[in-house]
Amino acid sequence: MNTSAHSDTPGTLAGRPLEEWNAAYSKVESYFHALRVRNKVLLGQLVALVLERAMQRSASEIQRSATELAVEEMDRLVNEWFAQVLEAPPAGAEMLSTRGRLALLLADMPGKWQDQFLRPGPWPSEFAVKMREMYLRAGPDFQLAKMTPRPLDLGPITTLTQMSRLPYFKMAASWVLFGLLLILLFYLTHHEP
Amino acid sequence: MISAPPIAETVAGHAVGPKAAPTLRMRRSWRVFTFFSSAVLLTGLISWLFADLLGRTGWTLSAFILLGLFTVLVLLISVGCMQGVFGFVLRLTGDRRITRLKDYRGQSIQGVGTALVFPIYNEQVPRVCEGLRATYLSLQKTGLLGRFDFYILSDSSEPDKWVEEEQRWIELVKDLDALGRIYYRRRMINEGKKSGNIRDFLSTWGARYRYFVVFDADSVMSGETLVNLVKLMETHPQVGLIQTVPELVNAASLFGRMQQFANRLYAPIFITGLNFWAQGFGNYWGHNAIIRTEPFMQHCDLPQLPGARPFGGQILSHDFVEAALLLKGNWEVWLAYDLEGSYEEAPQTMIENARRDRRWCQGNMQHAMVVWARGLRGISRIHLAMGILGYLASPLWLFFLLTFNWMLWYEANTGLSIITVRPLTPFLKVNATQHALLIFAICMVMLFLPKVLALVDLARDATRRRAFGGIGHAILGATAETAFSTLHAPMQMLWHSQFVAASLLLFGVSWGPQKRTADGITWGEAIRQHWGHTAIGLAWGAAIWHLGHPAFWWFAPVLAGMASSIPVSVLTSRASLGQKVRGLGLFVTPEETAPPPEIAGLRARMAALKESGQTAPRPADAGLADAVLDPYVNAVHVSLLREKGQNPAYAQALADLGVGKPEVRTLCEKLLTEGPEHLRRTEKLLILSDAEVLPWLHRQAWLRPSGTLARWWQEQIRQHAR
Repeated sequence: MNTSAHSDTPGTLAGRPLEEWNAAYSKVESYFHALRVRNKVLLGQLVALVLERAMQRSASEIQRSATELAVEEMDRLVNEWFAQVLEAPPAGAEMLSTRGRLALLLADMPGKWQDQFLRPGPWPSEFAVKMREMYLRAGPDFQLAKMTPRPLDLGPITTLTQMSRLPYFKMAASWVLFGLLLILLFYLTHHEP
Repeated sequence: MISAPPIAETVAGHAVGPKAAPTLRMRRSWRVFTFFSSAVLLTGLISWLFADLLGRTGWTLSAFILLGLFTVLVLLISVGCMQGVFGFVLRLTGDRRITRLKDYRGQSIQGVGTALVFPIYNEQVPRVCEGLRATYLSLQKTGLLGRFDFYILSDSSEPDKWVEEEQRWIELVKDLDALGRIYYRRRMINEGKKSGNIRDFLSTWGARYRYFVVFDADSVMSGETLVNLVKLMETHPQVGLIQTVPELVNAASLFGRMQQFANRLYAPIFITGLNFWAQGFGNYWGHNAIIRTEPFMQHCDLPQLPGARPFGGQILSHDFVEAALLLKGNWEVWLAYDLEGSYEEAPQTMIENARRDRRWCQGNMQHAMVVWARGLRGISRIHLAMGILGYLASPLWLFFLLTFNWMLWYEANTGLSIITVRPLTPFLKVNATQHALLIFAICMVMLFLPKVLALVDLARDATRRRAFGGIGHAILGATAETAFSTLHAPMQMLWHSQFVAASLLLFGVSWGPQKRTADGITWGEAIRQHWGHTAIGLAWGAAIWHLGHPAFWWFAPVLAGMASSIPVSVLTSRASLGQKVRGLGLFVTPEETAPPPEIAGLRARMAALKESGQTAPRPADAGLADAVLDPYVNAVHVSLLREKGQNPAYAQALADLGVGKPEVRTLCEKLLTEGPEHLRRTEKLLILSDAEVLPWLHRQAWLRPSGTLARWWQEQIRQHAR
């Protein structure tokens, strides 16, 4: 980090107390951690890069905290890099940020390409192609169709009036007859004359 | 990604199944007639004996009621018994199956697209994803993975579950390099529950696939079975649906292992018996089945039933009705009982089992309305009626016991002595007690004969015998399982009676969250759920003891089940006991002896996840925190939301929810400054549904000075930075 331009009184950096920059450092480091940048050397370099940019704004924006400046710079730096890698047309920062983070995940930046993150181009073609081509979909192209429920005619009375048309009606009737026959036999054999 | 041409058989735009030849129809009718007539004959003979017994002490209104109830209950037992007997005989004589492997082995499935759909609702997400992974890897081995697409179709209503599903899905996709092969979609409004979920999938992507296979959240299927199912469908264009018979696996508790053992031991003869009369007019059990897309879309969009609950409104148990509608449209529904490699898991405790029964009971009671629908095939009415009676049997049995008690009480309190007369049947030279014992013995034989036949069937097959740990262990297991069933049945009777009454009288049955330890349910939970059963058992027992000691011993098995419900429920829920009896060689199943690769892989993955703490319940609002703070989870979530906007139906659903309105930003401010505990579940869902505010929230949560955020966020940021 080039701090010579910002060195002033002891215990301060770019006109602010060291504790303030320490807090900013922590916040930026936290976000890169959340992006799964685990390599400590790379992490340190990236945080330093962000803080360098924040310190350059420090003198002119004295009313804002170092953390705010650092996080803003981090956001800007990451988005600028996304725009270059993705060769993205100018779009809203949030749209670009979402697309970029998704591309990082799908191209497996945390696993394979940590050293390429926020590095100026040219990038390895495999990485650049993966970043540009990866996209996420919940499904293939929609092929919309319409399902229309057919009403069920549930009228039991209607059905009962047409019992003879019911399937297996004859079979059921034969069982009923069999039951009646049992009752009849039972009555005849138990009935005292 | 697959695009398949629609099936060719359409008439004026309507998919129709070819009509069966007259000889085939006659054969089918003959099978139905033979099977059910034998059950009716058996019922008639036993009811005759029972009527004779009642006649010996004189006819009263109570005796007539008792006879009526007995006849219905014995008919149900007879159907079960006959199913076992027919199944056993068919397996003995070499059943002529409706499907033979050689008929379809050579069938090509090139150019045929099949979707495997996993409808889920607030499920244990790691288990869902690992089940899918097992199926995926198995399909990969067949070399035909490219013919299949996977869809996780979420209806989850818990914000944290939603985010967790997306996280696990993207991890799975990355692990398997399955981008564009495994998809995830969550509906914004879960209208129509599971059947609505499937309908939504079909309306959006169904036209791309000739077939789809429905999975349950805990289903696994082998790749070979899936490929065989598609080949079967291709070979038999008249078939609209093929249901496999899922084998229960992965049980750990004593209860789960007993259920699993019973399923694996008894199912083959029962299912063969069922298939004897059902043939091409089978049933659908809601999952582990392949479905021909076009006729399903044509016939199976379920209408709302007229009238109010419990019978009107949305059809809850949709599967039986969908099978009936396919049959109505002249499509066949098969039961592929000879195809292995289809698995599911079962509830691990009696309470979980009852909870599932509660849902099914409500749906089956509703079928009392559907059973009258015009145009349904007779066999569909039988399937529906048997489903209804499966639950109605419990209150009928309870009513039977109470009527019998009433008669005992009446006799005891009137002081009238019982004078028995000779029995009708001349060759029955027995007194009244022996007569009663004879009927009891016949009923017991009918209940237990299928189990004995299943053991004989096992003894005949050396490979299966070994897979069950040897015939000696299988006999011991079946005996122990039968003893447990005797205790469990009275509790089922009380539960089911409660559920039927609740369904008919429209009152809810409250369960509350289940309190479990790693080893099973707690004693407190068991007391909360079973104190009523215990109290009924003790009070009932005391009352019968008071009436007369001989009657008490008749009721002893029923009363013992109720009175011992608390310890039985706790002990059978114990995984440690399940493992202990496994060590003794009891309740061993083929999938335990030699786990198929899909199940072995699944178990290993789940054990590893458990070891690393990934299956443990997540803290409240962990999903919301991830969706806002984690740069990748946020990006995945937002990307999926943005895509939804391209589907007019989803866009409308989002608009209906209130997405994009200024109020959402106000909620976001509240979320940042006060924390999620100050938001309702629906408000969190609304925020998570808005693709515009989520990137903004992500930025704000990281950008704002810590002091301006709720303390909860500060802690979450610390955790996400680790």
